[in-house]
Amino acid sequence: MNNKRILISSLRILFRNKLNTLFMILGIFIGIAALTLTFSIGKGTEKQLMDNVKKQFSSNNIYIGAGRGQMGGGPTSQGPANTLKIDDLEAIMNNVAGIIMYDPVQWLPAKEVIAGGNNVTTMIKGHSVESEIIWNRTVQKGQFFSKAEEKSAARVALIGSKLATELFGNSDPIEQQFRIGNIPFTVKGILEDKGVDAHGFDMDMDVIIPITTMMKRVMNVDYIMSASLMVENVDQMDETVFAITDILRERHYLSENETNDFSIMTPVEVKSVVEDMNKVFTLVLPLITGIALLVGGIIIVVMMLMSVSRRISEIGLRKAVGARKKDISFQFFIEASLVSLLGGVLGIIIGTIGTKLLASSMDYTFVIPWQTLILGVLIPVSIGMIAGIVPAKKASKQDPIEALN
Amino acid sequence: MIQLKNITKVYGKDSGQEVTALKDVDLIIEKGDFVAIVGASGSGKSTMMNILGMLDRPTKGEYYLENREVNSYKDDELAKVRNKTIGFVFQKFHLLPKTSAMENVELPLIYSDRKNIKGLALEALKKVKLEDRASHTPNELSGGQQQRVAIARALVNEPEIILADEPTGNLDSKSTLEVMSIFQELNKSGKTIILITHEQDIAEQAGRVIKIQDGKIAEDYRNENPRSASEELKLVDVNE
Ligand SMILES: Nc1ncnc2c1ncn2[C@@H]1O[C@H](COP(=O)(O)OP(=O)(O)OP(=O)(O)O)[C@@H](O)[C@H]1O
Ligand SMILES: [Mg+2]
Repeated sequence: MNNKRILISSLRILFRNKLNTLFMILGIFIGIAALTLTFSIGKGTEKQLMDNVKKQFSSNNIYIGAGRGQMGGGPTSQGPANTLKIDDLEAIMNNVAGIIMYDPVQWLPAKEVIAGGNNVTTMIKGHSVESEIIWNRTVQKGQFFSKAEEKSAARVALIGSKLATELFGNSDPIEQQFRIGNIPFTVKGILEDKGVDAHGFDMDMDVIIPITTMMKRVMNVDYIMSASLMVENVDQMDETVFAITDILRERHYLSENETNDFSIMTPVEVKSVVEDMNKVFTLVLPLITGIALLVGGIIIVVMMLMSVSRRISEIGLRKAVGARKKDISFQFFIEASLVSLLGGVLGIIIGTIGTKLLASSMDYTFVIPWQTLILGVLIPVSIGMIAGIVPAKKASKQDPIEALN
Repeated sequence: MIQLKNITKVYGKDSGQEVTALKDVDLIIEKGDFVAIVGASGSGKSTMMNILGMLDRPTKGEYYLENREVNSYKDDELAKVRNKTIGFVFQKFHLLPKTSAMENVELPLIYSDRKNIKGLALEALKKVKLEDRASHTPNELSGGQQQRVAIARALVNEPEIILADEPTGNLDSKSTLEVMSIFQELNKSGKTIILITHEQDIAEQAGRVIKIQDGKIAEDYRNENPRSASEELKLVDVNE
C-alpha cells in the first residue's frame, strides 16, 4: 500500500528530473544494446557456421583433404595435392573396419557452362553415386546419375535450380543439352536447393557430374582433391583416423620424417574448429558487453549518489513527515531499478532493430536468442538494484536535522 | 500532553568539542497550548524543537509524549509519531521543487494508510486558503503562499501538535500576519502549537512565551490577551 504510493511518487520525481533520468537510462541502455547486438551476432554467426558445417559434413563422415597444410574447414591446402587417388580410398575401404562407403571429390571453382546463347561461369563438382547419401544431397527433379554412368564416365550432369533457370529459362531442363567448356552434357536431374555454403558459394548454382567424368574428360587428372568417408561408429573415430593415416602414409611412400601429404578431419575436429571461431563470440564479445554494462552500472551509482546529495533536504523532509528508513531506501532503490529496467528494455529494442538491420544488410539470418531477451531484462534490473543499494543506504541514513537546516 | 524532565543535549561528544545546547530542561506543555519559544541565536531553541519533534534524541533526561517515554520508541515508531501526531513547519518551507502544491501537501499521506489522499490534501489547502493554487509549483508561489502550502502539509494528517521553527523568518510583515492568523485559527480549533521566533511581535500573538537562554528556560509566562493576527491583518489591508 505505502510502497505503491512511494512508487508513484518516485515515478513523478523521475519524470520531473528528466535530464538526470535520461542520463541514467542512457548508461544502461548503451550497455544492454551492446549486449543484445553482440549476443545476437555471436549466436547468429554460430548458427550460420554450424548450419553450413552440417550442410558440408554430416556428423558421421571423415573428411580427407589432399595436400600438406591445414584445412580451415574446406579443401584449401598448400603444396602438391596430386597424391590422393581413388585407389587409396578403395584400400582404406578394404582394410579399415567400420567404413560404410566413400565419396571422392574433384572440383573446379569457376568454369564456363553454356546452353544455347546463355553462358554462366560456375562451380563444377565431381562426385560418386554415394555422395547422394554421404552429402545428403539428392535431386528434386529427374534422377541421380547411376553407378553404371559413373563407371563409364558418362556425360551426364545434375544442376542446381538457379543455374537451371539461368541456362534454360522456364523450359524443363531435364534431358536438355549444355556444354562444360567444349564437352557436351545431358541434364539428368535438378539438385535439391541448399543455399549458400560455408565458403559463400551458392550451392544452387552447382554442377555435379560423375567423378570419373570429371577426372578423365573435364580435368584430365588421376588424383582427387578430397574425399568423405562414412563411418559406422563415431565413437571409434580416433582408431579409424590412425588406421587411415597408416594406410595413406604407406601408400604414398612417406618416410618417417615426412609430414602427411593429406589431412584428415573428423566431425569432432570440425566442431572444434567452429568452436574456436566461436570463442570470439562467446568470450570476447560478452567481455566488451560486460565492460559496457559495468560502465552503465557505475553511471547509475554515480548519478544516484549525486541525486541523493542533491535531494538531501527532500530526504530530510520525507523523514520529518513520517518516512521510515526502509521507505527512503525503497524509494531510491526503486528509482534505480526503474531507470535500469527502462534502459534495459530500450536497449533490447534498439539492439534487436540493430541486429535486424545488420542481418538484412549482410544477408545473414540472425537469431535473437531468447536468453538475450531474458538477460536483457534481468541484467539491467539487477545492475540497477545493486547500483541502487549504496545510494539508497546512504539516503536512508541521512540525518533529517542536518538536511533541514 | 508533553512533558520534558531534565532534558540535556550535548553535541560533539565524539569530536571532543562538546557543546551543551540544553541543560536540565523541565517543561510541561498542555494540550491546546500556543507556545512561542524565544531567545538569542545559539541559545538552544532549535535543539529543543528537534527533540520535541523526535528528529533528535536527548543525551539525557526523559520526554513523555501523551504519557509514553519517547526513548522506548523504536525508529519506525518515531517515524509513525512524526507522521501522525506531529506536523512540522520550517523556516525555509522545504517544499519539493517542480512539484505542485497539492502533491507537496500529499507527502505525509504517502507514508500513512489514510484513504482519499487527494480529498484530504485539498481540504488542507482550503484551510490555508490556497485551494485555487493547488496545481501551482513552488516557484509560481510567493514566499507567504509557499509557507501556507507548508502549513497545509503539516496539517494534512491531522496531527495534535504543530511544531514550527521560525516559520515567519523568511516572510514580509503581511505574509507573517497571514501565517500567524492561520496558526491562531488552528490553535482555536484545539491544536497544540509550538513555534520559535526572534520577533517580540510574534511572541505577543502566542498564549504562552518561553524564553531560552544558554540552554535553560529563563522565562515562562502567559499572555492574558494575545494580539490577534487576523485583526492586524485587516488593518494592513485597510491601509493598503
Ligand atoms: N549538530 C550540531 N553539532 C554541534 N553543535 C550544534 C549542533 N546543532 C547546534 N549546535 C550548537 O548548539 C547550540 C544551540 O543551537 P540551536 O541551533 O539550538 O540554537 P538556536 O537557538 O536555534 O539558534 P538560532 O536562533 O540561530 O537558530 C549552538 O551553540 C550551536 O552551535
Ligand atoms: Mg534555530
